Amino acid sequence: MKAVILSFLFGTLVHSVQAQTESPVKDYRNFPIVISLQFHALSMPFRDMRTNFKNIGVGIGTEVSLNGNHDWVQQFQAIWFPNKSVGNGLMFYTQFAWRPYLASDAFAELKAGAGYLIASRPVDSFRWTNNQWQPVGRKGKGMLVLPVGVSLGYNSYSADVYLAPFISYQFMLLKGYNASVPLVPETLIQAGARLHPVW
Amino acid sequence: MKPKTNHAHFISIIFILSCASIPKEITDATCHESAIQNQSYSRSDEVHKALVKLVESGVPGVAVSIYSNEGWWSDATGYARIEDQTPMKSCHLHYLQSISKTYVAVAVLKLFEQGKIDLDAAITRYLPDTISQYVTRAEEISVRMLLNHTSGIAEYNFAPKYVSYLLQHPNHRFNPMDYLGYIKGKPLDFEPGSRYSYRNTNYVLLALMTDAITGDHAKFITETIFNPLGLTQTYYRAEDGYLTYPQLINAYWDRYSDGIIENASEMQRTNVASMIGDDGIVTTPMEAVKFLKGLMEGKLVSLTTLDMMQQWVTDRQGKPRYGLGLSYIKIIGQEGMGHSGGGIGAGCELYYFPKKNVFVFTGINLGTVTDSPIHAQAEEAREALYEAILN
Repeated sequence: MKAVILSFLFGTLVHSVQAQTESPVKDYRNFPIVISLQFHALSMPFRDMRTNFKNIGVGIGTEVSLNGNHDWVQQFQAIWFPNKSVGNGLMFYTQFAWRPYLASDAFAELKAGAGYLIASRPVDSFRWTNNQWQPVGRKGKGMLVLPVGVSLGYNSYSADVYLAPFISYQFMLLKGYNASVPLVPETLIQAGARLHPVW
Repeated sequence: MKPKTNHAHFISIIFILSCASIPKEITDATCHESAIQNQSYSRSDEVHKALVKLVESGVPGVAVSIYSNEGWWSDATGYARIEDQTPMKSCHLHYLQSISKTYVAVAVLKLFEQGKIDLDAAITRYLPDTISQYVTRAEEISVRMLLNHTSGIAEYNFAPKYVSYLLQHPNHRFNPMDYLGYIKGKPLDFEPGSRYSYRNTNYVLLALMTDAITGDHAKFITETIFNPLGLTQTYYRAEDGYLTYPQLINAYWDRYSDGIIENASEMQRTNVASMIGDDGIVTTPMEAVKFLKGLMEGKLVSLTTLDMMQQWVTDRQGKPRYGLGLSYIKIIGQEGMGHSGGGIGAGCELYYFPKKNVFVFTGINLGTVTDSPIHAQAEEAREALYEAILN
């Protein structure tokens, strides 16, 4: 799976970027609404991908272009995902994305950034306070997250609507899971769309 | 508690595990007290105070069993299960975790005494090719090197693929070949026999070797160790549900190292049920002591073999660390031997202090393989416990 995705992505990139001297996106607008489904797993990259589809969450975000060709953008996302085994997560992150445009209106992305994950516990928990155990619910922990990802998408726009559906694969490192485990790997498969609604 | 390593692995020695929800079948942690109590034990007050101190440090529950020149003493305090405040009792079953290695070592040494194993022969002589092919340079590794952790074989639970899968699938039952799959093709960490480094993989291989020779290592352990010593409350893969017995303690884990603990019994149980050789036995505190006492009294292996078990390999600082299934320890100035065990939701120690002729088992239902701020205070209470018992 890994080899297929990477060879497809980068093979297409090499072939297509050569011809790009200016952005084909003539109708790009900043601050679209980005809505997505999130498929989460605690796993090494490109492993155990079936588990991703058991933990389905949602995300919302936006982005802003950093140059005239709109092939460098900064993205902002807030996502929530359930995970019965390791605890649910609420994550905020930003990524810088390089978005080379491929043949026709297709595009790819390579992106990296940073964020913050608030991860809850999967079960009710207890704290020893005043010489007795006090329930504290599923109280979680905030952790720094370093996500890197790849995406494929397609710009579809007309006078009425701008819509860019995409799929992404994100690999994230969680820092400071506990004192003995400095880093924990997690993955997200994301499917969504960038859109500018017509108000 | 399992020895910790300094390896800065991507994910290190963790059994970082989680549990989804607590199934109804593990809501019990009940047992009926039947332990022998010695009302005249002169250190009972001090020992009990130390146990209370341990619980006040944030350990849910603790049980201890002691055999000394004064006879038997058992005590327990805290909770076997927090949720319904089930008291910890001396009759509860505890996870022996890595103390199981001593039992497996004894089984292998019984085969040695029966002439069925040469400790200095290559493991390829006893392991089927289908298993030894997983081990790099298996023909250069001897049975003894597995027993005293000088083989250099890679540690399966250092593998990030294993750890992350275990985290996400706390109820997945692994089999031994799954574990060996994580070390297949990995280079040895050092030249075989050149130094000591604790590896759970060594004892998985010893269990598989004993399977190959006896047909069933768990049955062999039951017949040659549990039965002769009359250990009727000690269980190892006796039946599929042996870890669902209601007298088994609930297990707790400080997932985020912040002093908050969660009930990790389901994951603990599945994890322990998966492991062979390096873990897997549950028992009462008293029966744990009976095992070590029986071993030291020569009821399981000959005194010559027992001496061999105490030929310590040293660490890089030249300090004695490990024999054949026994580890060397020095606590509050007292030399001891036995083993420790640690899991995601439990920890324990079983030691014999020859100069004092004291045997001690201590079991807690808080995980010890990942750090917790609770551990620092618990460590002080542990020292106070040994002070009370030995000094």
